Amino acid sequence: MSEFDKLKIVTRYELLKQLRRKRFYGGLAITVLAVVLTIGLYQGLDLPRHMRIPDQLINQYGAEIFAIFVTSMGALAVLAAVFFAGDAIAGEFEGKTGYILFPNPVKRITIVVGKYLACFIATAAIILVAYLISAGALLVFYGQVPSGIVGSLAIALVLACFMISMAFAFSSVLKGSMGATIATLLTYMVVFSVISMSLSYAGYNPWFMPDRAGDSMTATYGIPFENVFGGMMGGGRMTSGVMQASQDPTLGFFVLLAWAVVLFNVSVWVAKRREMI
Amino acid sequence: MRDAILIKGLSKYYNGFLALDNLSLKVRENENVALLGPNGAGKTTTLKLLCGLLHPSSGAAYINGTNVMEERERAISNVGAILETPEFYPFFTPDEALSYLGKLRGMRERELGHRIREVLKLVGLQKWANIRIEKFSRGMKQRLALAQALLHDPPILILDEPSLGLDPRGMVEIRDILKEARKKKTILFASHLLTEITQICRKVAIIDHGKLRFYDNISQLKKKYRSLERAYLRLTEGAI
Repeated sequence: MSEFDKLKIVTRYELLKQLRRKRFYGGLAITVLAVVLTIGLYQGLDLPRHMRIPDQLINQYGAEIFAIFVTSMGALAVLAAVFFAGDAIAGEFEGKTGYILFPNPVKRITIVVGKYLACFIATAAIILVAYLISAGALLVFYGQVPSGIVGSLAIALVLACFMISMAFAFSSVLKGSMGATIATLLTYMVVFSVISMSLSYAGYNPWFMPDRAGDSMTATYGIPFENVFGGMMGGGRMTSGVMQASQDPTLGFFVLLAWAVVLFNVSVWVAKRREMI
Repeated sequence: MRDAILIKGLSKYYNGFLALDNLSLKVRENENVALLGPNGAGKTTTLKLLCGLLHPSSGAAYINGTNVMEERERAISNVGAILETPEFYPFFTPDEALSYLGKLRGMRERELGHRIREVLKLVGLQKWANIRIEKFSRGMKQRLALAQALLHDPPILILDEPSLGLDPRGMVEIRDILKEARKKKTILFASHLLTEITQICRKVAIIDHGKLRFYDNISQLKKKYRSLERAYLRLTEGAI
């Protein structure tokens, strides 16, 4: 049997494992709730007017502005990836399931790749549900789905890849699953944000930071950000770092992909050498 | 008869602590050998090294002539193992867990289904085949661990205290399974239970502080020390 056949087996059973867990359905429920609430609040409270977006721009980019709001909520589903991936490697050691899985004629790299694919498929399923609801709402309220939603979805998916890779890297190094999950969330939400913010204030463009690259999923709709959202900031300007990172979704996509590939390789390298003590 | 298991000068340090000290051991095909020693003697470390779960500090181990450190997957395909106190994914049923492991070991769908029913019956879990493992007791998981070790009918069994956590009936049943298995298989197993060792194995390797103290037939050991218990106490004197 080839390693590819074994990879298919590992992926299938790892996916079954993910689908049997409450956290998958919890992540799905929270994401759907967040998207539906955003749709309801946006429409019910007429948010664009409260955000001081000029009428002319609302008329011109109504569907795109709405899409930015609802798909940003849907992309929150990438956080679910951290909960799927945090225990992927560490859990085998911590929970002692590795004593059954590892003494089999299958390469450690095949196990890690299979786990990665299963985590990605589970996360992608939740992201797709969120985007489908968003697309449905766009059709209902605006009679159209902006083409930029495809780019936004692509960046959400590659952001999920990045999050899974980072969680895998921590999971391969740390002893416990909880530690790996918390470390991933803190790194993304606090450490990277602080670095990006500091670089922005110092006048550097943090285009290479994954959090800023992730922000570019809102820039796929081709609307003039500064004009549309300038009013939100009071002074008529957004933080320069956000503006710069939001300008090029293609760059954001490849930045996230590069981070995902590097971190995934780190996790494979460590997992291959980790001993079952 | 060829060597089913060959250990050559195997040493293992854990952060400067020497757990296994230049251990050499040969287990011939169809031999049944018990690894006996006090807690921390190096028994589990030896078995983990043989299954490729640890990297040795020096030395080598071979299974059916294949170097475990160089060709782990090929070497391990001949082995069924129970190590430490194994756990299964709690969301799986025994049927699913064994399907997963059987497929990874290259078993075909049709023979696998039949074999799963066979091994689950053998360990007394046939009625639990479709119940999630999260509901299982320690003893039931240990039975399932033996079922997975026997699943692909491997020529070599490496077992670390296979009757751990079992009630007296379970211990007798597992012992009977191993007595039957020893007729056709090579067995290397670690245990603290002297009666279990004498019932299943003809040879014993006593290790202490990572060193091999004695390796011969149990009958020879009894001749020299009058009983296995006395031999164990004499050969592991001073052990904590």
